[in-house]
Amino acid sequence: MDTPPALYAEDPAWADVVPIPQYEGVSPLAPIFYTPEYKDATDYFRGILKTGETSERVLELTERIIRMNPAHYTAWQYRYKTLLALGSNLEDELRLMDMYCIKYLKTYQVWHHRRLLVTLLLPAPSTSPSPSPSSNPNPTHLQTSNPTLALLQLQEELDFISRCLSADTKNYHTWSYRQWLLSYFNHPRLWRGEVKWVERLITEDVRNNSAWHHRFFVVFASGHGEKGEDAVREEIAYAKQKISLAPNNASVWNYLRGVLDHTHMPYSTLKSFVEPYTVEQEGRSEDVVDLEDPLPSAGAELPCALAIEFLADVHEQEGGVEAVRKAVELWKSLANEYDTIRKKYWEYRIREALATQQ
Amino acid sequence: MSIYRPTPTDSFPTDTSVLQGETEETLSKHIPSPEYPAQPLNRNAHLQWLVRNMVQGFPTRYTSQDASQPWLMFWTLQSLSTLQAGLDSGNKQKAIDTIMSWQYPEGGFGGGPGQAPHLLATYASVCALANVGRPGPGGGWDEIDREKMYKFFLSVKQADGSFTVMRHGEVDVRGIYCLLVVATLLDLLTPELVAGTPAFLASCQTYEGGFSSSSQPYFSSGTLLSSPRPPLGEAHGGYTFCALASWVLIKSFQPPPYGVDIDVKRLLRWLVMMQGSEIELGGFKGRTNKLVDGCYSWWVGGAFALLEMLGMPAARTEAPTAHSDTDDEWDDVDGQSYPLRPSVVQYSTVPDTLFNRKALQEYVLYAGQHPTGGLRDKPPKTSDAYHTLGCLSGLASAQHHVTPSTRRREEITLLWESNTECAFTEQRKSAFIDALAWVEEEGASKYVGSSADRLNAMHPVFNLTMTHTDTMMGHFYQQTVPPRLMRRNV
Repeated sequence: MDTPPALYAEDPAWADVVPIPQYEGVSPLAPIFYTPEYKDATDYFRGILKTGETSERVLELTERIIRMNPAHYTAWQYRYKTLLALGSNLEDELRLMDMYCIKYLKTYQVWHHRRLLVTLLLPAPSTSPSPSPSSNPNPTHLQTSNPTLALLQLQEELDFISRCLSADTKNYHTWSYRQWLLSYFNHPRLWRGEVKWVERLITEDVRNNSAWHHRFFVVFASGHGEKGEDAVREEIAYAKQKISLAPNNASVWNYLRGVLDHTHMPYSTLKSFVEPYTVEQEGRSEDVVDLEDPLPSAGAELPCALAIEFLADVHEQEGGVEAVRKAVELWKSLANEYDTIRKKYWEYRIREALATQQ
Repeated sequence: MSIYRPTPTDSFPTDTSVLQGETEETLSKHIPSPEYPAQPLNRNAHLQWLVRNMVQGFPTRYTSQDASQPWLMFWTLQSLSTLQAGLDSGNKQKAIDTIMSWQYPEGGFGGGPGQAPHLLATYASVCALANVGRPGPGGGWDEIDREKMYKFFLSVKQADGSFTVMRHGEVDVRGIYCLLVVATLLDLLTPELVAGTPAFLASCQTYEGGFSSSSQPYFSSGTLLSSPRPPLGEAHGGYTFCALASWVLIKSFQPPPYGVDIDVKRLLRWLVMMQGSEIELGGFKGRTNKLVDGCYSWWVGGAFALLEMLGMPAARTEAPTAHSDTDDEWDDVDGQSYPLRPSVVQYSTVPDTLFNRKALQEYVLYAGQHPTGGLRDKPPKTSDAYHTLGCLSGLASAQHHVTPSTRRREEITLLWESNTECAFTEQRKSAFIDALAWVEEEGASKYVGSSADRLNAMHPVFNLTMTHTDTMMGHFYQQTVPPRLMRRNV
């Protein structure tokens, strides 16, 4: 803050409020040493909570507390209540939050407050199936009635989220807020651009698991992106290509497994693709460009433990004595050489596979 | 240069791999060497650090946790209990009085005096009271307004079986875990309260196998659709622990089938994949391709025990082939055997964990301990209250094997008295028995250093000691809990 903050205790405009100290009649264990400004503001906040006042000055007070401690959820809750009581301009509040979201990226409350505002500002989705309206007071007078305008506002909100993500590419709150926005408003036009958008983030950092999760969310989990067999083939081809770039990347292997599990495809469909990743580079014959099954890049460090694991799963799914024997050999190589930290797990897989066979 | 292999980058660096590489370089400096011998648990430094926070208070930077005062209290008290220490009766009373000042007049606990009731604050307050409270006037336990608390719980229930953490608050599985723990401890579980919750939890499991923070419901003319119900956010260690522990608690109250299930096999794979490699000292990560962090020692390391309640058998090292291997490996660490605990030598005949418990202990001891007391995320960070408990609980879960015991179950059942008239007495009984059936398996403990590093075993669901859990639940259910056999002295 630029100027030294005046204490509410010294402000005549607040003389009518009785400040309430935090602990009365209790000598607390494990207290926090507050600054005088924080103590002053929260003493007056407790005074306000007691009288139940909702006014402009309460908005100013809660903002001051939030700036000193953005995790003060009661200040947020009371601020929300006050905004509603005063019929405040929620657009203005949202613009104020633009600044706070970036400044306090890691607090739950800034993102949740934003969600409450957006829920009020934009019309509730009318398409069926519709999200639960249970916690939405739906004051229709606040909302945009023009659907085109609403779409533009939603697009603006997505752009804002994109800017936040470029500052912190794996922020959990930001990602889940984006996923909420998409699925809650469920606007067909909004879904349309998402795969292209997230593709850029994956290109920037192929190991960004949040981006991979988002891709899965859009294409499969949301129920709005899947477009039949072609889409699935496309996703598998995309994952293969990213594996060939840098095979030792758990995010893309998890994605690939996710796609196969979601669509009930047997892992064996990828057997010939996976095999070159399970052996050392030198052992390979000269590269033949295979668009279907791209080979590991020249810089790949092989054999890749994730590929060995995958191949073992292929064998296990095949079943039969010979296939399980092959799987066991692969698991042993993980336990003893390529992924020794998970030795106990690989031994467990061996025991389970052998037990199933008996 | 480390003797361990860095995570392969395939000659294709990105922001993630660069940060990972830097972290591995820092961490590998903490791998014991002749120059820097292995550190034991610095019990005294941690105790002093905890007591200083408790008695003198927390420095100004903790203002960011002013709305989490119950957490500061719980993390500190529970860390002391893990370290087998406790407060004197004067400070205990001060703690009780402080905690009770957070109870909200209309039910539940807030993050400080006058703060709105919140599920997380309620969990932390009640679990702090499990540590220091007692029955009777001034003891806290009987001053918890259970009736109003139950009303608060119902007031935040949502149509999809989830709960918001407070009025106008967000939905996430942390809140559900907190609510279910408190409801179980205080005998507040009802079919009404948890209706629809299993399906909500299951919907949070992602394609990776771990759980996300929440999911988006869809309704068709007022009816909740079973699909789509997409998880919001990627699989995450903290949420995964909370979802799994909630699943375990609900399982005992509302027996399956729920019409939905979780994929335990995929969950197990995700959990083991969260363990960092040798160069990261075997600490746990919270998400795929993120960095190891001491707090996940508990959220992820501690989650393995919960799988046993879902019928996944503990790993058993097969005697006698692996016998010598296992013991040699452990002896290498400190070059000594364990003369005081003969049972340890018989390691091959007892259950083992599916994660690398030796490596996790090493992470906490070598990277997690701050030289001046308290524990941390990773070096060179400073220690804090949250990471201190996360590291200590994780270390405890790597030292001991805690498992549901049939014998313990029988003992509790034998003493059970039907003392309420309600429509769900059988579920209530099974919730009680399931919660108290966990035992620390005799002779299954193992230490990287020596048994001087022993911590108390934690209840895998509540993160309380077994004794505190027994006493509190016995009181609120008005049941006699059979005493636990004294552990053989170490």
